[in-house]
Amino acid sequence: MSQLELRSIRKTYPGVAEETLKGIDIDIASGEFLILVGPSGCGKSTLMNTIAGLESITDGAIVLNGEDISGMEPKDRDIAMVFQSYALYPTMSVRENIAFGLKIRGLPKHEIDQEVERVADLLQISQLLNKKPANLSGGQQQRVAMGRALARRPRIYLFDEPLSNLDAKLRVEMRTEIKKLHQRLKTTIVYVTHDQIEAMTLADRIAVLKDGELQQLGTPKEVYDRPENLFVAGFMGSPAMSFVPVTVEQGDNGLQAEVRGNDGRAIKLPVPEFLADRVGREVILGIRPEHITQPQDQKNDQTLVAKGEFTIEVTEPTGPDVIALIQLNDTNVHCRIDPEHPVEWGEIAELMFDMKKVVFFDPETEKRIAPH
Amino acid sequence: MTDVVRTGFRPSRVAIYGVLLLAALVYLIPLFIMLVTSFKTPMDIRTGNLMALPTDWTTIGWTKAWSEACTGVECNGISGYFWNSFKMTVPAVLISTLLGAFNGYVLSKWKFRGSDLFFGMLLFGCFVPFQVVLLPMAATLGQLGLANTTTGLVLVHVIYGVAFTTLFFRNYYVAIPDALIKAARLDGAGFFTIFFRILLPMSTPIFMVSLIWQFTQIWNDFLFGVVFASGDSQPITVALNNLVNTSTGVKEYNVDMAAAMIAALPTLVVYIVAGKYFIRGLTAGSVKG
Repeated sequence: MSQLELRSIRKTYPGVAEETLKGIDIDIASGEFLILVGPSGCGKSTLMNTIAGLESITDGAIVLNGEDISGMEPKDRDIAMVFQSYALYPTMSVRENIAFGLKIRGLPKHEIDQEVERVADLLQISQLLNKKPANLSGGQQQRVAMGRALARRPRIYLFDEPLSNLDAKLRVEMRTEIKKLHQRLKTTIVYVTHDQIEAMTLADRIAVLKDGELQQLGTPKEVYDRPENLFVAGFMGSPAMSFVPVTVEQGDNGLQAEVRGNDGRAIKLPVPEFLADRVGREVILGIRPEHITQPQDQKNDQTLVAKGEFTIEVTEPTGPDVIALIQLNDTNVHCRIDPEHPVEWGEIAELMFDMKKVVFFDPETEKRIAPH
Repeated sequence: MTDVVRTGFRPSRVAIYGVLLLAALVYLIPLFIMLVTSFKTPMDIRTGNLMALPTDWTTIGWTKAWSEACTGVECNGISGYFWNSFKMTVPAVLISTLLGAFNGYVLSKWKFRGSDLFFGMLLFGCFVPFQVVLLPMAATLGQLGLANTTTGLVLVHVIYGVAFTTLFFRNYYVAIPDALIKAARLDGAGFFTIFFRILLPMSTPIFMVSLIWQFTQIWNDFLFGVVFASGDSQPITVALNNLVNTSTGVKEYNVDMAAAMIAALPTLVVYIVAGKYFIRGLTAGSVKG
């Protein structure tokens, strides 16, 4: 049970003009599963390395359970890490791999044996203990790497893109296992990934990073439903949120905004009242695929729902849904349609817009326009 | 129409194997001549054909070369010098290889400011001709009190060898993922623990490369041996030269050939024993982490 505070962490590499980390502030509660997510080069791996002590910080403080560990050597921090490449010691057996850290810390032999057995049971790798890493499959190597981290019972676990080297099916399996493990052990975990689905499914909270700056820190639901800015909105979710420039107008039944398809058909979408001070100005409508569907009868009488006909340009059946592409105000927009409601490309289909969960962004600042 | 894969003779195949066979013969003929000559009697050598097998097989050339032949004033054969070479080569090879491994570890996994420049400059050591360092090295050995000793020769060979061994190990370790080092650091391992417990056990192939290379270089060296050693501490290459050049009466080609074979044997043995690792080490790509 360990609580970790990152206090305005800054990192500049020697000879590089731009800062890699530009003041990151994150409090990680004991037992929390925090995911650092962002595109390549956003600084998430650097941040993780600084927590581990593999890289120094230029400014700020890393505080673990009230103790400043910023200047400590990695071995004194009592932090374990699982690497993307697993980084198993190739000349050692699985047992020796797991026991290595314990041996170095001078534990008596019977305690080491006990601990190795415990971890092997936990991860179901008991039958692999005498094998060399080269003779294991990717998934098995992944388990051993996690076992090595678990064996030391460290204060914090760091995961650096641990599932990236696995094939798609195994990745989903291991994702579930990691979540189970966390629910069982209630350990504090910091987990780096560039895969937003991993972030959504695993995290208690997600920290979205870009260019060394924290864009948003919140629960997966917060980050998904109320993204702080265009970057976060575009990064989380697949297919991504579509961004349509619209102008807010005063209509007969409240505020509205016009969207025009590429065939010239236009409809007025109802927009929420908090945009009242932006009448006549342009805003960016952020709309997720699930907000545009086939007409659903039960939604007919709801407020903030509109229907319109648009030309379907492309359809991509995914199984549970069909993702259809339409054009609104000259931008591509994805819609999520029930496969039982067939649409074909080139057809004109009636679509229902549910505006209750859409978000709006200021085109200047790219920040979300918050309801008052 | 079906294409039948032809497995029989084809002119191009025949040509390739013919050329290979010819090349092998060209390289083997001198060895063959040396070998048969070493087993001939002096009489046989003078009257017979160079390529012919001995009429009377005799090992007299070998025993004489080993224990009786004259190398200058003394006539005790080359056996003493053979052991001299071992006393020089074994420590020099081991020390230079270990130093190279250690250098390579630091230069690839614990880079410091200017470490790449340092490595670049160290590589110059591979290209410095032996002759250039003869005088300064002689002066240095003299000041250290190591002139004309086997220890002095070991020192010279270690210094010369470190450039090569560092190159071998550095390039081998560069291919080993850094994550391995990071994992070990988080496991609590320090600088030396990581080297001895993680990296060295992974280094067998490149160790073999370094051993073979250094053994061959140091065992076969003549120049340093003739300059920095004298009398009792001379290595076998120098003794062989003295033996062949000592002219008292008739030239005993069988003894010369036997002595040359004896001088060449250890490198041959090392290559045969460790050769498979040599190829493996040279072609080793990255190590799966």
